[in-house]
Amino acid sequence: MSNQASITRLPQARRPALLGGYEWATLCLVGFAFAVPVLTRNPQILSQTNLILIAATAALGVYIMLRMDLMSFAVPAFMAIGGYTVAVLSLKLGVTDAILLGVAAFVMPALCAVPLGWLILRLKGVYFVLVTFVLTEIVQLLLFEAAPLTGGSNGLVGMPAVTLFGIELMDNSQVLLTTAGLAFAGFTITALFTRHFRYEFTAIEKNDVLAESLGLACWRYKALAFSVAAGVSGLAGFALVNMLLTAHPTSFAPMSSVSYITYTIVGGKGAILGTLAGAALLVTATDLFALKGELSPGLFGLLIIVVTLVARGGVIGLAAKAAGRMRRASPAAPARVAPIAAVQARGVKS
Amino acid sequence: MDNLIATGLIGISLGSQYALLALGFTLIFGILGVVNFAHGGFYVMGGYVAYYCSVVLGLPFPVAVLAATLATAALGWLFETLILERVIEDHQATLMVTMGFYLVMATAILLLFGPESPEFSFPITGVWRAGGAYVPYANMVVIGVCLAAIVIVYWLIYRSGIGRAMRAMAEDRAVASALGMRTRALFPFAFALATGLAGLTGALVTPILALAPHVGDPVLAFSFLTVILGGLGSVAGATVAAFIVGMVEAYAAVYLGGSKGALALFVLVLLILVVRPQGLLGREVRRA
Repeated sequence: MSNQASITRLPQARRPALLGGYEWATLCLVGFAFAVPVLTRNPQILSQTNLILIAATAALGVYIMLRMDLMSFAVPAFMAIGGYTVAVLSLKLGVTDAILLGVAAFVMPALCAVPLGWLILRLKGVYFVLVTFVLTEIVQLLLFEAAPLTGGSNGLVGMPAVTLFGIELMDNSQVLLTTAGLAFAGFTITALFTRHFRYEFTAIEKNDVLAESLGLACWRYKALAFSVAAGVSGLAGFALVNMLLTAHPTSFAPMSSVSYITYTIVGGKGAILGTLAGAALLVTATDLFALKGELSPGLFGLLIIVVTLVARGGVIGLAAKAAGRMRRASPAAPARVAPIAAVQARGVKS
Repeated sequence: MDNLIATGLIGISLGSQYALLALGFTLIFGILGVVNFAHGGFYVMGGYVAYYCSVVLGLPFPVAVLAATLATAALGWLFETLILERVIEDHQATLMVTMGFYLVMATAILLLFGPESPEFSFPITGVWRAGGAYVPYANMVVIGVCLAAIVIVYWLIYRSGIGRAMRAMAEDRAVASALGMRTRALFPFAFALATGLAGLTGALVTPILALAPHVGDPVLAFSFLTVILGGLGSVAGATVAAFIVGMVEAYAAVYLGGSKGALALFVLVLLILVVRPQGLLGREVRRA
């Protein structure tokens, strides 16, 4: 099959596979978290899995925006909106149903992101980085200032346990189940979303001016992605608040966005599996350094520099490269269609 | 009325500190096109070097300040030459390495000096009073040194050959190097100059405010505020904006309380970024 054939054929083939290999692998791994409480009662493992899932879900917000070459520092801001929405709903209105709360934690930040996205998505590169950083600072200050709603510097404490079909999810392993559910929802949404629009996102990532001039309405995809990223971050915020049983401004500190970016970059921004791998590796590493807890930021910093200088694809990129080398060594390697041709074809069509 | 004047003087003192920090930050962006996330780290490092020299080694305070300036400049030069230079063309990569370097610096300081803030106070005490207004001598020294540094930086950028070369490179790196400007020497120089300014500010200001490993975070946030307000890459804009930020902060802290002043500034900056990304005074210095 020549490249020419694939260009003329692809636009008709509008129905690509629902998910790719990386996506399936990632979802299976996240789904495995449901089994952890059954397999072990070790509180250390349970809390560790919980932390990894929350970190990975939060990092998805960075991953989605990086698909369009936009580095977002806004994850903690939307996590805060999601987390506080849940806290306010359960404390002031008595809503405890996990599914209702989950929907609220997704929808509320996603809705907030629509007008914000309209404002800031015209910026690119460094300016986008700065504006999302400023946005997170503003949300942080608002949490302190809007005391009647958010409890100010005391935060919101004493939340009731969430319920699922009337059953209270109270102890360690049940909290992990809630987190696993939220993480699974976040990963499924992200996987379907980035997979469905993968050509559009790649076109915007490579050259958005060109994509625009070829007829791709870039702002629409950017706004949609910003909104979905906000919603997924909101799910992570819910999981975090549910684990701590409090909503406090310090849980959503602006500098924590650096951690989420680190997970995504070190894991590898090229595939969704990267965010999970990055979060799992680095949260575990933080735990290993727990005796000297202050060391972990330095480790993160060092890893960021090393990955940026020598291994742009992150852990997943390195693994894929190694796998590719092994496959090339074996004689029966199947030829692959150049993805760029497919991107161009889809870009013209949209 | 006296209160009003005293607050104004605090504002000027804050403004001159911010101006030094913002000048360095905006120089790095204007000339190298890099957003230096490690700027706060150099500020903290300046504070700790000055503390080490003056308190632990017992050197005179001016020598300690000079040592802090030189040490931060030297580290900035090394960082630019060894790490930043290799990814200078890719804005996302420069952002990642400066961010990573900040984390490494903060952790190193924590390991060397511990998490508690050390006993470090300004060697000159006493208060100057005029009418009902009080100004600590320490603040006057800081204002004086900062203004002097600002004048020197202006002279360097607008009156000297090096400054002309740096501005040429900010405008168009390719053409400037074709005309014989030495990128490889000038970029590290500009970076070292900027980090040296951050170190100088840290050495002067931390004995008055506070010295602890984490004091770099708000510095970074306020440097962002100032340079966006003034226009990324604009030297004059950064200076003017620094005094605006200092004044707003001082008056808001006295008359509004809490973090309302900061909130107002951040919202203002968000709007400016959206409506006028080139800032209050700036023209678009560099396409990002």
